[in-house]
Amino acid sequence: MPTIIACYKWVLDEQDIKINPGSLDLDTSRAKSKISDYDRNAIEEAVVQAEQSGAEVASLTFGNSKAKQSLKDALSRGPAKAYWVNDALADSADAFVTANVLAAALKKAGQYDVILCGEGASDTYAQQVGPRVATLLGIPAITFVSEMKIEGDKVIATRKIGDCTEVVTSSFPVLVTVLPEINKPRIPSLKQVLGAAKKPITEWSAADLGLAAEQTTAKNKIKSIKGFVMSRKNVIYKDGTPADKVAGLVASLKKEGVL
Amino acid sequence: MAGIWIYSEDTIITQQIITLGRELAEKLQQPVCALTLYAQDAQTLIAAGADKVIVMKGDNPWPESYAEAIAAQAEAQQPGVFFIGATLRGKDLAAKIAAKLQTGLITDAQAVRVVDGAIETERMLYGGLAVCTEVLSGMNVVTIPPRAYDVPAQDAGRSGEIVTVEVTAAAAMAVGNVCPIVRKGADITVAEKLVCVGRGLGKQEDMQLAQDLAAAMGAELCCTRSVAEDYHWLPNEAYVGLSGQKVKPVIYLSMGVSGQVQHVAGIRDSKLIVAIDMNENAPIFGAADYGIVGDLYQVVPLLTEAIKNK
Amino acid sequence: MSEEEKFDAIVVGAGPAGSACAYLLAKEGKSVLVIERGVSAGSKNVTGGRVYTYALELLEPGLHAEAPLQRKVVREQIMMLGEKSGTTVDYVDYSFNGEVPQSYTVLRAPFDEWLAGKAEEQGAMIAAGIRVDDLIIQDGKVVGVKAGEDEMYADIVIAADGVNSFMAQKAGLRNDITAHEVGVGVKEIIELPPEVIQQRFNLTGDEGAARLVLGCTEGTTGGGFLYTNKDTVSLGVIFAPEGAAKRGKKIHEIFQDFKMHPAIYPLIEGGATVEYGAHLVSERGWKGVPKKLYRDGFVAIGDAAGFVLNTGTIIRGIDLAIVSGIAAARAVLGAKDSAGVGPAYMQELETLNLIPTMKLFAGFPEIIDIPRIPAVYPAMASEIMNFMFKIDGKVPPKMTKEILRIVRKHVSYGDLLADGWKGVRNI
Repeated sequence: MPTIIACYKWVLDEQDIKINPGSLDLDTSRAKSKISDYDRNAIEEAVVQAEQSGAEVASLTFGNSKAKQSLKDALSRGPAKAYWVNDALADSADAFVTANVLAAALKKAGQYDVILCGEGASDTYAQQVGPRVATLLGIPAITFVSEMKIEGDKVIATRKIGDCTEVVTSSFPVLVTVLPEINKPRIPSLKQVLGAAKKPITEWSAADLGLAAEQTTAKNKIKSIKGFVMSRKNVIYKDGTPADKVAGLVASLKKEGVL
Repeated sequence: MAGIWIYSEDTIITQQIITLGRELAEKLQQPVCALTLYAQDAQTLIAAGADKVIVMKGDNPWPESYAEAIAAQAEAQQPGVFFIGATLRGKDLAAKIAAKLQTGLITDAQAVRVVDGAIETERMLYGGLAVCTEVLSGMNVVTIPPRAYDVPAQDAGRSGEIVTVEVTAAAAMAVGNVCPIVRKGADITVAEKLVCVGRGLGKQEDMQLAQDLAAAMGAELCCTRSVAEDYHWLPNEAYVGLSGQKVKPVIYLSMGVSGQVQHVAGIRDSKLIVAIDMNENAPIFGAADYGIVGDLYQVVPLLTEAIKNK
Repeated sequence: MSEEEKFDAIVVGAGPAGSACAYLLAKEGKSVLVIERGVSAGSKNVTGGRVYTYALELLEPGLHAEAPLQRKVVREQIMMLGEKSGTTVDYVDYSFNGEVPQSYTVLRAPFDEWLAGKAEEQGAMIAAGIRVDDLIIQDGKVVGVKAGEDEMYADIVIAADGVNSFMAQKAGLRNDITAHEVGVGVKEIIELPPEVIQQRFNLTGDEGAARLVLGCTEGTTGGGFLYTNKDTVSLGVIFAPEGAAKRGKKIHEIFQDFKMHPAIYPLIEGGATVEYGAHLVSERGWKGVPKKLYRDGFVAIGDAAGFVLNTGTIIRGIDLAIVSGIAAARAVLGAKDSAGVGPAYMQELETLNLIPTMKLFAGFPEIIDIPRIPAVYPAMASEIMNFMFKIDGKVPPKMTKEILRIVRKHVSYGDLLADGWKGVRNI
């Protein structure tokens, strides 16, 4: 029975993050966490493919202790079990570190025929962990996939890369990064939510994975993270009849020379 | 540091990045070396400003199969920084090269500069909400968005070293059925005027309002991600946002667009941003130069008339 | 039907009522499933507000010390606003800050999540992000719930799904609420440094103030409220939606005018709004409680049962919710068969003083409904106060004469008497 592992990241919901008007520092104190948007597609695709090909699905994540909440969420979406590398190192990890950790965890998990990842995380959108992990494991990576199917021990995937599509075929084991258009994640039902509580969770620390300090140290230094504020004119017509407001706008646009 | 390397599977993008390369070459006193898969482009790259060109000669036409070969070259010659064009193919390759070389990788660098002898990059975080500035140490791969720089003027008299390396391209995957995506509409990334449609539009028939306005303005139509991906009222190539198209029109006018960060990240470079929406607290108004708070079903037809009659 | 699909109790809604009920049931070894519509417990709830601690102590002694609570309320205030004036009665009572402080201001998200977590600790299963679509009724008895495609069975279904209880409607115990029965509450949570809050409200340390305001709803039945939290202030308005619609006032306009009122604005000046919220509030008191709160296999608790009290000076909801949850749990634990749970529940509501309290204040909504209360009396009182304190060098009119003149200007003696009589009758 083939094994499909879906990797996901537990991220802060960017909608809850505020920018301090003076310092432009980010205020994440009220931010809730979620499974990164495209990773939900990865988990869903893993489950859909497993349903069709009789494979077993597991989820894998690398996060600090707060990521515990994510396990119920992930498991309620269909995987049979969850792997969790629980380590505070996640707070300072860049893609280089994350890929090292995930690759080591996958090796420790033992079997992986198809590894699914989102094409990028909703917080950093660095779009690199997937192919990095594949390279570390010495397996092929098929990125930006909009459609896939499993036939025997092969994956046939359609990539959508800007101005063309191409169909790529690879034998197991292979890593695939998915585009959000690949599927629409189903909302877990009551039974699935309840079932999640009973599924097995394997927890490791980074030390359990036998990684050297160099592999878990981020490559570059972050000098600053500041809120991006566009300074625009903000001339907004709110009062009066629609005709008044339109007249105001047209006058402004004429002055700007665009009409 | 031994060289500023540049690669893209698209030679035009390689040339664009050479503009950046030459800027850094001055500051860092390092040579610019461009890599290409196509021997016929080598001279163009020299003329564009590369001091050296390495032609990767392999028998596989699929650009993605050169990750290992390119990484091996970089491993051997240890450039200080390696710029790769941030097309989707380029990002795929960059990640694999970075993993092979065990280096850092900065994706979609919005700005690259030299500060105190080190390279600093800026990129977007949280869907465009924040800017992250990083100081690079050691060899790093940096992907640069297409069109971030202009193609430099060609200097046919320029000379440089051209080296051809025979490489074995990877062959683990079979690639077939390469089909160009037929663009169903205009290229919004080069449009001067854009009318953008958001979820504030109740039904597909209402697109007529937007079409009439666009026609009156001489503008192209574009939309937010959900209008393309969820409703399919416009093709995917028409959606503007962090994971979609980035546009830089002279005027961008939206209707029924709330202005989430991910969408605004795609319109930042517009000269003028105009928004029409019901909700005065919609984030789009904070990002707009001009706007109308009102019912678009009333406002847009009036605006279309006013523009036609001006 | 496998073992997995049946629970001793299914609680619909993980608000204070549902969580308190689940807590007790699970503690006594019952298998309990709590199904919450929101993504987490409390995500769909909004409160003024505050919680009276006796209810927490009733659930479990010592619980109040663990709960995420804001400030201990020692200042109880009532305020009447005029156009540019305000009259405030400020009652400070340090005995309210005893060993177990009488009440704490509260923020719902952390509080509800914590209480649901306590229920989980006791062994209750909480399934969040799931909406219950229907009850499963067999032979006239409620035997379970349906959520999407899934059916879950239980000996008792406890509806704790809030003010417009879908479950109570499905059980046939009530109809869809009418605009007349509820008020619309809107609020903002405004961030201010703790020292600033303490200075502006005359508080020391973690003391808190609770204030109800009249005359801020521009003539519509309703009132405002203000509660001090640790480093935020909860400010809001509740009013009758019909009345507001008739006067052509938009909800957020009324609220903005309230915020900007010269007697209110200085209290929140410099603060940043960090949260908006809105919710329906039961306004009918005892008269709004359904005639029957149970049927075989089903009971309604908390807001779903209409357990909200507004006496004009005090608003209570969370404590009543918790007490009703306790009552239901006790009924389930003590009943011999499913048919006995309902009557046992009503008995517990009596024993725990909930029903007697609701009955005592049954007439208050009538008083609050008097149209002159929001529209006339605050302005009248302000004018009287203005007269009392105005010094401009002129000879003022005689006090009794002037006061009577002001009163008559605003209200006829007939109306005044009628209102007074209504007040006395309903108190």
